[in-house]
Amino acid sequence: MSSRGTKQKKGNVTNEQEEEDQPLQAVLIADSFNRRFFPISKDQPRALLPLANVAMIDYTLEFLTSTGVQETFVFCCWMSNKIKDHLLNSKWCRPTSPNVVHIITSDLYRSLGDVLRDVDAKTLVRNDFILVYGDVVSNIDVSQALQEHRHRRKVDKNISVMTMVFKESSPGHKSRCEEDDVIVAMDSKSKRVLHYQKTQGLKKLQFPMNIFQHGSDEFEIRHDLLDCHISICSPQVAELFTDNFDYQTRNDFVRGILVNEEILGNQIHLYVTNEGYGARVSNLQMYDSVSSDLVRRWVYPLTPEANFTDQRGQGCAHSRHNVYRGAGVSLGHGSQMEENVLIGRDTSIGANCHISNSIIGNYCTIGDNVVLDRAYIWNNVHISNKVKIHQSVVCDGVLVKEAVLLNKQCVLAYNVVIGPNMSLPEGTVVSMHHPEEEEDDDDDEFLSDDQVVGNSKDKTKQKGLVLNPDPDSDSESEASDGSQDMGSRSVSPEMDDVKVFQLEVLGTLQRGEEENIGCDNLVLEINSLKYAYNITLKEVMQILTKVVLEYPFQQQGTKLSSSQYTVLLLPLLKKWSPVFKNYIKRAQDHLDCLSAVEELFLEQETHQTAMVKVLMNMYQLEILEEDAILKWFSAGATTDKSRQLRKNQGLQKFIQWLKEAEDESSEEGE
Amino acid sequence: MPGADKETDLSERIEAFLADLKRGGSGTGPLRGSGEMARETTALLRRITAQARWSSAGDLMEIIRNEGRRMTAAQPSETTVGNMVRRVLKIIREEYARSRGSSEETDQQESLHKLLTSGGLSEENFRQHFASLKANVIEAINELLTELEGTTDNIAMQALEHIHSNEVIMTIGRSRTVEAFLKDAARKRKFHVIVAECAPFCQGHEMATSLSKAGIETTVIADAAIFAVMSRVNKVIIGTQTVLANGGLRAVNGTHTLALAAKHHSTPLIVCAPMFKLSPQFPNEEEIFHKFVSPHEVLPFTEGEILSKVNVHCPVFDYVPPELITLFISNIGGNAPSYIYRLMSELYHPEDHEL
Repeated sequence: MSSRGTKQKKGNVTNEQEEEDQPLQAVLIADSFNRRFFPISKDQPRALLPLANVAMIDYTLEFLTSTGVQETFVFCCWMSNKIKDHLLNSKWCRPTSPNVVHIITSDLYRSLGDVLRDVDAKTLVRNDFILVYGDVVSNIDVSQALQEHRHRRKVDKNISVMTMVFKESSPGHKSRCEEDDVIVAMDSKSKRVLHYQKTQGLKKLQFPMNIFQHGSDEFEIRHDLLDCHISICSPQVAELFTDNFDYQTRNDFVRGILVNEEILGNQIHLYVTNEGYGARVSNLQMYDSVSSDLVRRWVYPLTPEANFTDQRGQGCAHSRHNVYRGAGVSLGHGSQMEENVLIGRDTSIGANCHISNSIIGNYCTIGDNVVLDRAYIWNNVHISNKVKIHQSVVCDGVLVKEAVLLNKQCVLAYNVVIGPNMSLPEGTVVSMHHPEEEEDDDDDEFLSDDQVVGNSKDKTKQKGLVLNPDPDSDSESEASDGSQDMGSRSVSPEMDDVKVFQLEVLGTLQRGEEENIGCDNLVLEINSLKYAYNITLKEVMQILTKVVLEYPFQQQGTKLSSSQYTVLLLPLLKKWSPVFKNYIKRAQDHLDCLSAVEELFLEQETHQTAMVKVLMNMYQLEILEEDAILKWFSAGATTDKSRQLRKNQGLQKFIQWLKEAEDESSEEGE
Repeated sequence: MPGADKETDLSERIEAFLADLKRGGSGTGPLRGSGEMARETTALLRRITAQARWSSAGDLMEIIRNEGRRMTAAQPSETTVGNMVRRVLKIIREEYARSRGSSEETDQQESLHKLLTSGGLSEENFRQHFASLKANVIEAINELLTELEGTTDNIAMQALEHIHSNEVIMTIGRSRTVEAFLKDAARKRKFHVIVAECAPFCQGHEMATSLSKAGIETTVIADAAIFAVMSRVNKVIIGTQTVLANGGLRAVNGTHTLALAAKHHSTPLIVCAPMFKLSPQFPNEEEIFHKFVSPHEVLPFTEGEILSKVNVHCPVFDYVPPELITLFISNIGGNAPSYIYRLMSELYHPEDHEL
């Protein structure tokens, strides 16, 4: 990095000097804010789960340190003490470490947004910083991205607030996380993100036309990108999170920025690399693929034998076919380590075992005639004779008794005792924690409650949990997964945004009426909803009109008579007129509003008589102008029905009255 | 306290160097040339000698041996680091012996009889304190540094003795030493260089660009064409990562193929190897020998589903047995592979072979 820095310095010495003098900072979030790894994560925070026998957070810190980060803020929430202890004992907190690690803990963090708001409140960052999660494994050299980011910020006067790092990898790559699949539209020259859409569960994609009218002549729409979850942020990002209290995740942020681009003038850029490796261990499927990538040396120089954490005895020897053996490993007669096997220190393996594509932790004992394939066995595990384990995770301290068969995608959480002589069906999760403890916030990830047949010795409560390592195997949890990133919001992105927005507006108004919230606050809330769901102003108005006019039906049922309806509606209109006025300003807005009214009453044919009263009322409340109403009346009729509507007597009279009133007022003027 | 300050500064430097070593070489072998690596190691060892707390040569040797062990463990494939540690240990032994007044020659000589009766000059004997030792050791290390700086030039100077006009010379990959060697010869003679590209990293391309810029007629060939082209070649000149104790090489992938083809056609194979690449290791030390890097270059990560179905390996080094090598050119002149053991015993003390 420094060499590149010096090259750059030729141009603008003083400015560049300032940039270089500032230490590079990073914000590391050692909490996932979701429960993908439950019940394992109940005993151990995700950042400390072993990945190829090294805690995940160590990979992230090594990545940051090797990119030249000099100051890292680690934010922990869940089990912060454990993370703190781990970090204090690691090489990162030694006085010689080039990367100063500050640990900040709070139980109040509920999302990425909360953390960044805290970063802003404490003014921790002074310059561009790198934002990562504590479960990112990467060896990407981001100095190039950083350089581009700084350059952009210098040239464009701080317009670009964030550069996201993506890695090229074609769809179907096993290290691509289903949940993070995105389609990105970007400007090929400036690498500016124009549109960003998660694709999980979507069959159809829509790109707003305006993104292609921004003046640049080359666009790329890419689906071959793997989100590394590494972002280079300017300090403004933290401020923006503070300003927009509803941003929970980076996804919210990116979409928010893109929607508000014209208003706030902020842009997001992309850095696409095809070298290096970067992935986030966001679920068990990713755990499987990142582990195997590590063993297959894709993340070189972060290989198992490199012992980059500098822990004594952690080193191991690498031999052909990617077999790694720690110190003091003993292997019985006739046992085979086929390929891609990592065995931790002081682990002993019995005779005639067959091990392939597996990772075994430290101090394990494995009996005779054991078959392990794609098994992830953590520390201090005892496995008796004749056990077969396929594609499963076995956590610390587990005792697997004789002749147990673990089928695919099983998880044995901490300290479970299981067997002998039983077979666990596919996708079983066994944990020492009673499932009901967690009932309140039980997650969609773990759907079923069907009890697993079989008994373990020590009254382990068992619960069939569906983990999701294989995308094909269960579509159900996949569909509900999306909601998780959205944090507190209760809706998943698969639902039509407009519809969701409509529901939200309705909810807001209901609350507004019940709790007597002022119109200003209602406007604020609707505005924030608008940004969150990416709704245009026109739609907002139409929806608002529709919601308000339908409000009596919502409250009292659809069988109201026209007169009852108007009685109910008119006070509401009066009450919320400031909200309308806020949105209806230009002439076009009036027309849009009117067409929304028209549309509604076309649907509710029985209530057409009420329409005049509504219009009259809106006119009197100065929501609508007479010019607009007249224009609408004369111009709008396109279909038979609307023509019919306009022939309504009451309406005719109202228009007549309006015209006269206009004439009068103009006469008076003379 | 300034002393403590110095100490932390020193350990910080050591840690930084270690971290650098661990991250070093993300793909195309070492980021820096091994010459630079040797110089950096020596400079660091000089700093340790100057700043660490030690009272006798024994203490100092223990400190250096400890740090050396960590450095070699950090990146076992970077053998120059270990070599430089051994060189410095040897220097300390010599300086100690000189301060004591005994002649260096006595412990130089190695005979069966001496080995049997040895144990005389072991660590206990390094306990004596000499005030001038520190300065002497540092001066000797400075001399070593000067020697290191001149190695490439020294080798390049011998180019005219080996390359004649209108010869066809083949090389593989990119070695800074060979590059300097060929360029030096090109000042006086006209010749043709064929460069094998050395897949998957293809450093050969860079080499060819650099050579043709210097006005040398250059052709790049694929590695598979080495045998076919060999019949036209007068001489093969290559570089290496390490010269092993048996006179064999640990060099970039593809060198073995090249050496075998040269043997088949009886083309002389010349290895340009500075003395600091001599390593008292044998090729059977498997763990140290291999280096597997990310398979990205062999099968790119961007390939989709295929990656979960195949195992891809990307080793970096080849072993070339000594019988395929005609001549070593080092900074002190040309030597046959069979003479390497002798050079080795001159450079390193037998007790330092195992750090």
